[in-house]
Amino acid sequence: MSVIETRELSKEYGRIRALKGVSLTVEKGQIYGLLGQNGAGKTTLIKILLGIVKITGGEADLLDAPAGTTSIRERVGYLPEDHQFPGYHSGYSLMDFYGQLYGVSRDDRRRKIPETLELVGISGRMHSKIKTYSKGMKQRLGIAQSLLHDPEVIFLDEPTDGVDPLGRREIRELMGRLKEKGHTIFLNSHLLGEVELICDRVAILQKGNLVREGTIAELTAQKGRFEVGLASGQKFPETEATQLGYSIKHIAAAGGGKGPAPTIELWEVGLVEGQTIDRLVRLIVEKGLNLRHLVERKQSLEDAFLATVEGAEPGVDKRSRKPMAVGGDDR
Amino acid sequence: MKQFLAILKDSFREAMDAKVIWVLLGLSALVCLITFSLSFTPEPPDKAFEQIVTKFNFVFPERGKGKLPVILSDATAYTASNVQTTADGYTLRLTTKPSGNPLFRRGSSRPDEKTSQPDSLRFAVVNWQKPAGHTRTMGFGQNGPPLEGAEPQEVTLEEAETLTDDDLDTFIQQQFAVHAGMDNVTVKRVTDGVKQPEYAFDVVIHSTEGVRGWPTTTKLFFGAVTIPAHFPLGMVLWFIEEKIINGFGATLTLLIGVVITGFFIPNMLRKGALDLLITKPISRPALLVYKYIGGLTYMLILTVTTVGGIWLVLALRSGFWNPNFLLLIPILTFTFAILYAFSTLIAVLTRSSIAAILLTCGFAFFLYLVGVIKFTLDDFRADPTQRAEVNKTVGDVVDGIQFILPRYKDVDRLTTKLISDATLTPLEQYALAKSKVEYPSWGETFGVSFGFIAVMLGLACWRFQTRDS
Repeated sequence: MSVIETRELSKEYGRIRALKGVSLTVEKGQIYGLLGQNGAGKTTLIKILLGIVKITGGEADLLDAPAGTTSIRERVGYLPEDHQFPGYHSGYSLMDFYGQLYGVSRDDRRRKIPETLELVGISGRMHSKIKTYSKGMKQRLGIAQSLLHDPEVIFLDEPTDGVDPLGRREIRELMGRLKEKGHTIFLNSHLLGEVELICDRVAILQKGNLVREGTIAELTAQKGRFEVGLASGQKFPETEATQLGYSIKHIAAAGGGKGPAPTIELWEVGLVEGQTIDRLVRLIVEKGLNLRHLVERKQSLEDAFLATVEGAEPGVDKRSRKPMAVGGDDR
Repeated sequence: MKQFLAILKDSFREAMDAKVIWVLLGLSALVCLITFSLSFTPEPPDKAFEQIVTKFNFVFPERGKGKLPVILSDATAYTASNVQTTADGYTLRLTTKPSGNPLFRRGSSRPDEKTSQPDSLRFAVVNWQKPAGHTRTMGFGQNGPPLEGAEPQEVTLEEAETLTDDDLDTFIQQQFAVHAGMDNVTVKRVTDGVKQPEYAFDVVIHSTEGVRGWPTTTKLFFGAVTIPAHFPLGMVLWFIEEKIINGFGATLTLLIGVVITGFFIPNMLRKGALDLLITKPISRPALLVYKYIGGLTYMLILTVTTVGGIWLVLALRSGFWNPNFLLLIPILTFTFAILYAFSTLIAVLTRSSIAAILLTCGFAFFLYLVGVIKFTLDDFRADPTQRAEVNKTVGDVVDGIQFILPRYKDVDRLTTKLISDATLTPLEQYALAKSKVEYPSWGETFGVSFGFIAVMLGLACWRFQTRDS
């Protein structure tokens, strides 16, 4: 069941086209990552879904209602990027204020506020003024306020911004627990390592266009590239393989594993369109060689991302008035 | 409703977070303390009535309904004697006799020897019954300051002689009400041993309260400083309530209020702060209107503490509980609401607190200026001799501007009227506000102002609703 769906969604800020016909679907219970350079349109997409900015073209639905529907917001949590909490509140009073706006009952607020603040690790300072909080604490408070009313969908825009590595891991684990409880998380982050670790699906935006979308495995797979390793001392039939149309490249020698296992040599095998690895495997067998290693090559999400956006202009900011500032926005 | 209360509470918290409000509350406490140091000692009844009856030569025509008094220039010598204090008030003997002082002649700005009245009391009573004569600025007494008043009407011998004892009694009764605020007074003419044109009356006053008109010795700083003049208690209260609180205090509070609250909505509209609010299940117009109302709590806190405090202290020290003064709390908050609605619109349009503050201060000054010009023009137009001097185009332009703008100055005038009605005698009101301009109506003043607030907020909500965050 989809909780978020956009169809040919577009947004223009004057002459600047922040989104250009983006269509995506997020299923219930997923952690969905949105990647892109600064100014790619990630935050604009979130803001449209939440009704913060207006749609220029296309359609967007959130929880089966048009994006921006006021009543739907009761079922949605949001941590904006660069949020600014009123300094005159304490963590507790801010949560209490937002809880009232969400319609959380007084009893529930009394029970859930300390619980939620405990969950993000700032319950010890919940009665201190926010103006005395560190950036990381404010970030944790931001996450807490997005969870207070037990929302079905949680939008987190750079949730680990300003948080130390330990805190990041805690936030990651928290997202995992939320997913287990059936929450859907829409994550916007620059930390690709985190996204790779936690997200079920990822979309990459570039200059307002959705350029790639899929599972982590789909995005990181390098189609047509394999690593092949033979038993120690055996020579790879490079010439025959090349004659069969494979491209061969020696990578390195790799350890055979724990203990005194012998070292094996690794080759990268490239396939051409329509070709499979099966013919090469048969060749190795026919030659009486011992296949010890065969995996389809993968890349990190960062590699995949960089490969996708390679050559793109540096990200631009929406507020820039310079003529070159076209193609997107990161608000 | 819960959301409204939440935003109200949030605004209250925001207001209390501003350090300036504590300074203002401290100032308010200081004013309350200084007020508490006041002491009011009523003059003894014999001296008090001696002073009160000297004012009886000011006669409000049409049986007290006239706006301007007929100044009879001490034509009658009133004497209060044999003043006794009773269980529920006072008794006294009031005697009158012609002083021989001349009156004003028609068209003259100084008393004329030829106008001396042989039976000055009856002359006064007939003038009290008749409609007002021509308005004229006249010298008060032989060498007194010029005052605007009604010229005495011609009185025929027949008119004077047809007056009954009841007419005379009622006149004296009303003079006590008008000049001393004593409403429950019984007057009976005494004829035994008194020969016209002298008169005597037995007066019974069924009240021990003498706020208005009763001369009082006022001391400041717990008796350390004595104010030399024996002003009536009501006039001292009026000065504190009208001049210090409603005048200086209110202006200062409004200006500081505009500055402090000028940050509230731009702060809410800051990037990063606004998104947190507008993604909550509350519509943008509701959010803005609630925030606007929340901003008014700032003024409410200050007026409740200051006006309420002064009211309580004055009442405890003087024994006079003036509920009209408490109306200053909603009225000042309403005046602030006018300015804050404008500030809200500017804040939504510009998101700049500096712009909101400066433009609102400028707007307040403009409203004040329009009110003053309009008032001055109306004063001219109310006087037949000056009416022609008002340029019609200028008058029409000022009338047009005043028509569409909130009645900032009129609200102030109506507040003055509220305070004055409760503390001053009609003669004191006349002496302190010599305007010929009628007070504006409450309905029109508040109706137009409410309309302005609605338009400002409507535009602000529309812009807030239609723009991206």
